[in-house]
Amino acid sequence: MNAQPFRLPSGGLVDRTQTLSFRFDGKTYDGHPGDTLASALLANGVRLLGRSFKYHRPRGVLSVGSEEPNALVELRTGARREPNTRATIIELFEGLEATSQNRWPSLGCDFLSVDRLAGSALVAGFYYKTFMWPAAFWEKLYEPVIRRAAGLGRAARFADPDHYEKAFAFCDVLVIGAGPAGLSAALTAGRSGARVILCDEDFRLGGRLLAERREIDGRPAADWVAATLAELAALSEVRTMLRTSVFGLYDHGIFGAVERVNDHVAVPPAHQPRQRGWRIYTKRAILASGALERPIVFPGNDRPGVMLAGAVRAYVNRFGVLPGREIVVFTTGDNGWATVCDLVAAGVRLSAIVDSRSEIDPTFKALAERAGARVFAGGAVEATQGGHHVRGVVVRDSSGKHTTLSCDLLAVSNGWNPTLHLTSHQNGRPIWNEDVQAFVPGTLPPGLAVGGSAAGRFTLAQALEDGARLGREAAVEIGFRPTHIEPIPTTDAETNRVKPIWRVRGGRGKAFVDFQNDVTEKDVELAAREGFRSVEHLKRYTTLGMATDQGKTSNIAGLAIMAEQTGRAISDTGTTVFRPPFTPVAIGALAGHHRGKDFRPVRLAPTHDWSREQGAVFVETGQWLRAQYYPKPGEQDWLTTVTREVLAVRTGVGLCDVSTLGKIDIQGRDTAEFLERVYINGWKALPVGKARYGLMLREDGFVMDDGTTSRLRENHFLMTTTTANAGKVMQHLEFCHQVLWPKLDVRMVSVSEQWAQAAIAGPKSREVLRDILDAVHDISNEAFPYLAAREVTVNGGIPARLFRISFSGELAYELAVPADYGEAMMRALMAAGSPHGITPYGTEALGVMRLEKGHVAGNELNGQTTARDLGLGKMMSSKKDFIGRLMARREALLQSDRPTLVGLRPINNAERLRAGAHFISMGRTANTDNDEGYMTSVAYSPSLGHWIGLGLLKNGPRRVGERIRAVDPVRNSEIHVEICSPIFVDREGTRLHG
Amino acid sequence: MRIPCPHCGARDVQEFTYLGDAKPRRPEGLDATEAAMLEYVYVRDNPRGPNDELWYHAAGCRAWLMVRRHTLTHVIESAVPTKSAKAGVAA
Amino acid sequence: MAEQATSSWCRRDAWAAIIQVGQIGAAGEPGVKVQLPANLQLATLIATTGSTGLERITKQLVGLDLPRSASIALSATHGLAWSGPGQWMLLARQRAGFSELTSLLSDEAAVSDQGDARAALCVSGRRAREVLAKGAMIDLHGKAFPVGATALTSFAHVGVQLWRIKDGPDGPAFEILVSRSMAASFWSWFAASAAEFGCNVARPG
Repeated sequence: MNAQPFRLPSGGLVDRTQTLSFRFDGKTYDGHPGDTLASALLANGVRLLGRSFKYHRPRGVLSVGSEEPNALVELRTGARREPNTRATIIELFEGLEATSQNRWPSLGCDFLSVDRLAGSALVAGFYYKTFMWPAAFWEKLYEPVIRRAAGLGRAARFADPDHYEKAFAFCDVLVIGAGPAGLSAALTAGRSGARVILCDEDFRLGGRLLAERREIDGRPAADWVAATLAELAALSEVRTMLRTSVFGLYDHGIFGAVERVNDHVAVPPAHQPRQRGWRIYTKRAILASGALERPIVFPGNDRPGVMLAGAVRAYVNRFGVLPGREIVVFTTGDNGWATVCDLVAAGVRLSAIVDSRSEIDPTFKALAERAGARVFAGGAVEATQGGHHVRGVVVRDSSGKHTTLSCDLLAVSNGWNPTLHLTSHQNGRPIWNEDVQAFVPGTLPPGLAVGGSAAGRFTLAQALEDGARLGREAAVEIGFRPTHIEPIPTTDAETNRVKPIWRVRGGRGKAFVDFQNDVTEKDVELAAREGFRSVEHLKRYTTLGMATDQGKTSNIAGLAIMAEQTGRAISDTGTTVFRPPFTPVAIGALAGHHRGKDFRPVRLAPTHDWSREQGAVFVETGQWLRAQYYPKPGEQDWLTTVTREVLAVRTGVGLCDVSTLGKIDIQGRDTAEFLERVYINGWKALPVGKARYGLMLREDGFVMDDGTTSRLRENHFLMTTTTANAGKVMQHLEFCHQVLWPKLDVRMVSVSEQWAQAAIAGPKSREVLRDILDAVHDISNEAFPYLAAREVTVNGGIPARLFRISFSGELAYELAVPADYGEAMMRALMAAGSPHGITPYGTEALGVMRLEKGHVAGNELNGQTTARDLGLGKMMSSKKDFIGRLMARREALLQSDRPTLVGLRPINNAERLRAGAHFISMGRTANTDNDEGYMTSVAYSPSLGHWIGLGLLKNGPRRVGERIRAVDPVRNSEIHVEICSPIFVDREGTRLHG
Repeated sequence: MRIPCPHCGARDVQEFTYLGDAKPRRPEGLDATEAAMLEYVYVRDNPRGPNDELWYHAAGCRAWLMVRRHTLTHVIESAVPTKSAKAGVAA
Repeated sequence: MAEQATSSWCRRDAWAAIIQVGQIGAAGEPGVKVQLPANLQLATLIATTGSTGLERITKQLVGLDLPRSASIALSATHGLAWSGPGQWMLLARQRAGFSELTSLLSDEAAVSDQGDARAALCVSGRRAREVLAKGAMIDLHGKAFPVGATALTSFAHVGVQLWRIKDGPDGPAFEILVSRSMAASFWSWFAASAAEFGCNVARPG
């Protein structure tokens, strides 16, 4: 058997010296480097590539580019399996494996074919009409059945093993598309010295010139392409990006692009990504994306073997593949004749040429004679015959007579649509141009120019002229001076007249408008009849223009038929708005490196490795990883561990990393005044060497954050914030300073990262610290009382800061050293504390102890609570203005029945409290009307031997002693609790001051 | 979007955080009324056209900027530090 | 003095256990080189609005002019990098004398030590720009970011300050300060991005 029976004996840009072996649906075939999967399959005579979305009709290759609606396949296998890839842009590689999709059990014999099963039931809107009732059937019956019958490919079932990247590029001029317009634009801009990026989605530069037999300056166009590429390569500021689709245009000249770095090999080489998502920042951009050819709507127009005429030329000229042997051309313009011309040049005879126009140019008639083809002027194709591919067509001639012609390839042409999608991404509306019978770009976003076919200027001469002009204009606009102006190359003659027909009437059978979504002319008529007359409604009702191709080959016919049905002109219906992305983009290329454990940056404390060495289990707090608890061998669950840690602190000494707290250095003459304005409480009277608890509100009166702030020197304060809010507080303080009170002398900077900080807590903590601090520092209770804050030294002069503050309610300190010493500090404290059984504890134990002391934390500082709600209303100074002061005094926020902080304990000590449980008075029904608040935090208190909780309850503090229901509908549980003071342990604070 | 930071040059909008309308002035001091504060905190115009907005260059120079941006086209006319623009500053 | 610290109080810098010295990624001549500077001292200086005292005293003490725009003044031993309006990052290439220097400056500026708050690295080599372009939303082209330019920005969502130092024998060179806590995430991104070009990591001393 002849390998590649449809490969022409010579010609094309494939490398015939090398053979690549690949598989499609389990069968092995050969192709060449330079082939796409589509061209290689066509070379092997494979025309049936897939089944359609809804009706499971056989489909083949329609086009030669990224607009392909039909030839969608699953590429590769296993974890690398990718559904809905377009065979027309898959670059062939050795060992490529592809499978057809949406068929069962096989492509040739598909039992799901609706033509076999149910006739033509799946008309537009059928989802909405057919499956309305009963509602319960939707999820269980209708949807699964529909999903099985209608669909595209299957996603891989495993995580993608490849690496993806993001990257950023900057240029003066971005040129999109490397056809004749794009190449000449890049060249003129590049020659002026501008930084140019030239992108093309193809794996070879040249655009349509690769597919055409044209002449530039009297020589084959390929020579001009080669010379242009050579000159571009020599310009150091010009960057050419192959296999790169520009998919979106965003504000201020920013473009999104995806570079398929290694899609053309089976597996990316080591250390290389599969794809790279680009964000390109530009000063100017030139859209030279060419045009997309339009098919014709007629019955049976979807059968494999019906192909765009321009695509036929591309397969012949670029790939050396003849997609059929008995050829009929059906055209509404001159473009079909260009295909005839190239086929004749390739020595191919044609059966017939059907031109819907009644007048045929004499040169075309002569051409038809050379081709040995019959000509049907004013004719139309009314039907196709065949099973899995075309075997014949029925032609109606100008007199209305029908002729059946045998053929295996029908080349169709209905003119071209400018590829103007990017011009719509910033709200631009395409405009119908009667002269070229196509939508052309409307208002352009700033910085973007469009040239060549993308602007509806379809001839090669216009493309070269536009490119040169726009390249020069762009460079000049941003200040470059072209040294000399080269003459614009000349081209051979061409005509591009077209008189499109939007559908062939009179035939029988389905005539497809949108191949990918199986939308027929009848569906468009139905939509019009049912009132979905706007093109946007048409799209949503019929699915016309949805899915991977976004209607690139179908939109115009759909809206032209709608215009006809509603008695309007195409210019009045307009088109749907194109949105990014122009072409499907893998999520991986958008995420880049940021997936899995690299999803977002993680912040690690300087003591992180030490904590890990101690066996810590970590928890995410904002971006930070914090040690949650430190299980010891033999401890079965976290509660055992946390209970041990709490008891160690309450009876001996514990050690906890608190480096993650936000720390802001605030200096300047007006610092105390500044703090007065941002905190609710007073700061001017705070002596040097002391710390104070502070609470800050948002301007709307709700609590923003809390923390202790220390006065290190007269005009030097150190503020601490909660771990999670550090960034937010810094931004707020900068706002207060720069926007509200710029005259204050306040200078602040985050020093969160500079200091490693540890809490040393428990009755033995002073003894441990004495061992660590240099001997000159007296930390006796008298010399260093509760809330003392001082700069000290450790280990013979290492600068450190010591604070006597406590979250646990025990005698406690926080010691800070420069971060490089963080680990050394932890080791030194462990060594000094070992005689006292010092125990590392994590955020969980910290949380238990703060709850035992009734300190509020993140669950209570939830953006919905005021200082008063948290029992801290008395802290609010009435002698000064501060952020949030007035709004916190709003009447509704002062209502006594606002949920207010209380403690809760179970009536039966064995029962566990649940955070999130809602409070309902005894005897009342548990519903929203009777909801009186909820449990914010719970913990098992080792000190008390039962669970305790904090909650926000209506009239809370006045109800101490009352019993109430804690109903948890999420976990379907309910227990009875007693309302109590939020301070559970050491209410007098004797331990704290000891 | 790109915002022309007067200190750092044009930077991607990802480096900034948005606050909103720069026009309202905070009623300062103990004499300020609740009504005025309510207006300052909550009441905003929603103009179609150029609008002065507050943006914070969080991932850059940490300056608060007053950015004049067209709310429909996103065209940015100017961006100046609030310190010199006196945006939102009480008299 | 810290230098007298006993062995149990060793410094452990931000890159410890994150970066290994040697070649990463592709083998052969490395397209990218990373050097981890030893003993880099850093402090934030914030001037009093309207005062010129800081300008005078920095000139006097380290012989450098205070940059008024996004650039860095560098000498063999010190540097002053603009790091926001009215704010600079002072750097010194050795530990000795730095605390004395900052205390002399504290009359004219709010001074905050940052030497332990940043992880520093120097990236150079033929492909250095290509690696940084995988995370930098700023233009590092020679014309847009000449020698002596500095920028505060983020690379791959990690806050950085970088500046361009004198070109090395094989292309441009950048010094980058990374928030210490994000050093591991930064390196995960950097190493993955540099791997295709081959990257040599060195640590003097």
